Amino acid sequence: MAKPPALLQLDHVSRRLSGREVLRDVSFSLQREDVLGLLGVNGAGKSTTLAIVAGVLQPDAGTVRIDDRVSNEGLCTIRARIGWVPESVPLWPELTVSESLDACGRLRGLSKPLRRMACERELARLELQAVAHRLCGQLSLGQKRRVGLAQALLHEPDLLVLDEPGNGLDPVQTAQLRELIGKLSPRRGIILSSHELAEVEAMCNRVVILHEGRVRHDAKLDGEHGKLDAQFRAIAAQPASAAA
Amino acid sequence: MSTFTIARIDLKRLAVRPFAWTLAGIVLAMMAWQFLLGVSAFMHAQPTVPGPASGPGFTDAVVAPYLLNYIQLCLVIAPLVTMQALAGDRSAQRLALLSASGASGAHIVFGKFIARLAFLWLLLVVVATVPLVLGGATHPDWGQFGAALIATALCVAALTAIGIACSAFTPEPALAATAALLIGEALSLIDAGLRITGGEGGWLGYLALHTHLAPAMRGLVRSEDIVYFLLIVALALALAIHRAAAERERG
Repeated sequence: MAKPPALLQLDHVSRRLSGREVLRDVSFSLQREDVLGLLGVNGAGKSTTLAIVAGVLQPDAGTVRIDDRVSNEGLCTIRARIGWVPESVPLWPELTVSESLDACGRLRGLSKPLRRMACERELARLELQAVAHRLCGQLSLGQKRRVGLAQALLHEPDLLVLDEPGNGLDPVQTAQLRELIGKLSPRRGIILSSHELAEVEAMCNRVVILHEGRVRHDAKLDGEHGKLDAQFRAIAAQPASAAA
Repeated sequence: MSTFTIARIDLKRLAVRPFAWTLAGIVLAMMAWQFLLGVSAFMHAQPTVPGPASGPGFTDAVVAPYLLNYIQLCLVIAPLVTMQALAGDRSAQRLALLSASGASGAHIVFGKFIARLAFLWLLLVVVATVPLVLGGATHPDWGQFGAALIATALCVAALTAIGIACSAFTPEPALAATAALLIGEALSLIDAGLRITGGEGGWLGYLALHTHLAPAMRGLVRSEDIVYFLLIVALALALAIHRAAAERERG
């Protein structure tokens, strides 16, 4: 029997930003039910990779495939299968949480009954009922992150793209996030970025280490903390010239 | 669908911000003052007007200058209302959110344009209601009033579109407002020198807002004036759409 295509496949993706080569020949894949951690120091190219996966940035070279379809073709259809939460969660501070979710549902083209159902489901799943009528601009960072996740999950995407989801969260919120990702992963593929090894190890079953815009390590996590830690440190310590 | 959703979100955001209410309050207060001054001057001038057939009527003497004053105010308030449209949303990553939600550059630009235009047209409706209140007593020339209103609405649309385009091209809202203000003022004053010297406008005259507002204020709706305003709207929005669509490539 033929192997099903990868949910996400990046082939030789390169991208320059402000004259600097941020990504160089990046290739990796993600299967459904995988939680892939994109690990790297600041400036390694994690956010750029995720923005390209989410379709908000175009690669200069290479292709991004979702279920074997190139994401630049039929962009709207592809985007409908992706939920994206960038590092700085984009919210409308003047709208309440409910209004914000409803607006996202409208943008995704959900009908009124579907939208209402989806909003209630996400408010419950992310424990946001208590702040449903509060303005987004008045929420704490943890609550904002949860609203961002709710926005991304409204249309039940197959692929969830999370940029530094643990940034700014307290230990309790971090534990809740890990639990949530555990609950979400059986039905979809998740790709998240982090510069913290412990976070990736706790949430992911695969890791890709990016350094200076290149993939330096791509493997399943085997639970050997010390080995991955040593690898990450060795890669992160490499100067730019060595990475090239 | 996305266009109206974006317009709806932006209108809602405008409606809950004190900025929009403050701006509306200031504009309406200034317009009310202008109207009172106009009516007062008209009342004082009445006995000296030789005859009702040859003298300027209420529409000529009060309504047309009153609507021109609204356009003058819009040269300033349109940039203020539009400056955040794309420049502010870009820096807060909300443009990326819209883009990731499936909205195209055209959806985003049209949505933001419709929201701002709805706000400024709503103000125009309130502004236009004031002379209507005196309609029973003053017998305005309804044709002239309608023509002036159409020209004002089109001119406001053009200024809004220019503001949206400036917001698409600049990273900072303040920069967008300044650029839109300068372009609006340039269009407003471009033929001032020629008008003072009484010379022919030529292409400079064609570019000037005044050239296309003056006939409408006299009650003449010319298709070339309508085309002029629609051309500005189309050109400005096309540039903004091109820029918004290029966000994915530029990063």
